[in-house]
Amino acid sequence: MEAVLSVKNLSTYFYMEEGVVAAVDDVSFDLAPQEVLGIVGETGSGKSVTVKSVMRLIKSPGKIVNGQIIYKGTNILEIPENEMYKIRGKEISMVFQDPMTSLNPLYTIGDQLMETIIQHQSVSKSEAYKRAVEMLQLVQIPEPEKRMRSYPFEFSGGMRQRAVIAIALSCNPSVLIADEPTTALDVTIQAQILDLMRSLQERLKTAMIFITHDLGVIASMAHKIMVMYGGKQVEFGSAEDIFYRPIHPYTNMLLRSVPRIDRKIDRLQSIPGQPPRMIDIPKVCTFLPRCPKRTEKCQTAIPPMEEIEPGHFVRCFNPVRGDE
Amino acid sequence: MSEILLQVLNLKKYFPVKQGFFIKRTVAEVKAVDDVSFEVMKGKTFALVGESGCGKTTAARTILRLTDPTFGQIFFNGKDLSKLKYKELLPYRKRMQIVFQDPMGSLNPRMTVAQIVTEPMLFHGIVKNRKEAYDRAKTLMQMVGLRPFHLDRYPHQFSGGQRQRIAIARAISIEPDFIVLDEPTSSLDVSVQAQIVNMFLDFQDRFKFSYLFISHNLSLVRFISHTVGIMYLGRIVEMGDTDEIFEEPLHPYSKALLSATPIPDPIVERARKRIILTGGVPSPIKRPDGCFFNPRCPYKMDICEKEYPELRKISENRRVACHLVK
Repeated sequence: MEAVLSVKNLSTYFYMEEGVVAAVDDVSFDLAPQEVLGIVGETGSGKSVTVKSVMRLIKSPGKIVNGQIIYKGTNILEIPENEMYKIRGKEISMVFQDPMTSLNPLYTIGDQLMETIIQHQSVSKSEAYKRAVEMLQLVQIPEPEKRMRSYPFEFSGGMRQRAVIAIALSCNPSVLIADEPTTALDVTIQAQILDLMRSLQERLKTAMIFITHDLGVIASMAHKIMVMYGGKQVEFGSAEDIFYRPIHPYTNMLLRSVPRIDRKIDRLQSIPGQPPRMIDIPKVCTFLPRCPKRTEKCQTAIPPMEEIEPGHFVRCFNPVRGDE
Repeated sequence: MSEILLQVLNLKKYFPVKQGFFIKRTVAEVKAVDDVSFEVMKGKTFALVGESGCGKTTAARTILRLTDPTFGQIFFNGKDLSKLKYKELLPYRKRMQIVFQDPMGSLNPRMTVAQIVTEPMLFHGIVKNRKEAYDRAKTLMQMVGLRPFHLDRYPHQFSGGQRQRIAIARAISIEPDFIVLDEPTSSLDVSVQAQIVNMFLDFQDRFKFSYLFISHNLSLVRFISHTVGIMYLGRIVEMGDTDEIFEEPLHPYSKALLSATPIPDPIVERARKRIILTGGVPSPIKRPDGCFFNPRCPYKMDICEKEYPELRKISENRRVACHLVK
């Protein structure tokens, strides 16, 4: 199937006083229609910068230095900013981590929903109002008409995130990007929001990019998974590939470093060392200093993304094989 | 059977809610911790889990007398600490330590690591002089996986995981018996979390520390704790052996909490039947009548709106506060 969104060799660098931070370095992926792509990685791995680049929300000192972002056949890195307005929020929309900062505290939920609808669709105010109420119903906010007049502070964290999802979906986008949408929420509320997102995704068939650092959340949401480390994608594959046949040493160790509620585990695998400081890093694999499988060859170049089995890619000279 | 190190009996901590411009009147109370009792065994880990606002951190702070309890007793090795004066508390403070959630907030940015790590030793007089303290600090640095030369640096020069190691070095510097771990890894990345958690287990093996582990991360609680208390709105709703509770939770809230925790395994996740609770946690100022969980409980009965169920012992290792569980 033709991809709705195709990112090719995307590199986004931040030019800081201390040096250059390659926050995203040579990242490529395709997002098929109706598919949920999970991006997983630790703090500073570049997952947020990747999607912010897709939305063209990178501000100075950051700069997209290379690559293409093809949305329905057009490279959106080349279109003028006023064209981009028509894509942001309508074609590709985004849900951020903290709903308190992504909602404007001075406007009612209804105002903010209607603003998005009126901005992107040529509808009257009363039509927009009707659609907004429908959207609140869709995200299961009780008494939607009353809630239209509420301000964000009157909502609980979970309700706010529902409202943000309603705004994001109000123009029926082709791609929904969710950047850690449940990280700020308690676990029972997280379960509600994930359940809502799963059912809406199945119903509306929106393609979705879902970012998280939580391996449990990604397992419950994603069809395909991209693992990022130190600004680079290290592994890409179906959820089964990543969870049951991880071949990058980082993915492999990461999966063994998390405890789970359904099993008694005696010892967690820990990954020695610290995540990389991203300033002026050498042109080698960013996981090199912590990697148990590093060899001479790793010191010489950045390994390319290679397809090990159909649809399963890895960026490593010494991938983990079988039951290693 | 191991011995009890810490016994908490009917602990309550209420915070007044004040209103008024000139004359502040107490209009209500937040019952952050409301009649909580539990035990921590020597050399074992007891975990308090629950969502934000359930009172788990307040319980821990009250036990250490960082805030004074409204009611209740805290027996440490048989001695009630709840009403001791500052001076009388000191010998016990020496045996209790805490590692906080945010290592940036708990390390003084103007002190070097050496000052941070040696201060408790010097304060409690367990070393003769600065020289001896510094030498011990060097050993401590190695124990927590840092290098002796790090002692001359400042906290901002370290990553989050390293800072937490410094906080741990400070906590174990006076060789306490009991350490409160208040969400010690929730600000860390998973790969670093594993390093820190493994370190806690190693130290427990070596030094027989007793831990009170405070967390909202159930997977971590299952891994690290021997016994667990699940809290909801200031009270423990289920308590007992960790493995038993995780294998078969009995309280509807425990069931929902476990069911809401995602498992890093896509096939297991897709096949799971989830209990999705409706609504959020009610306000701790105006808690529901009867069982606090009744508005969200899928198994609610008439009695649940009238009476708060007592925390009953239902087997050797289990206590549950639910009208449904007999």
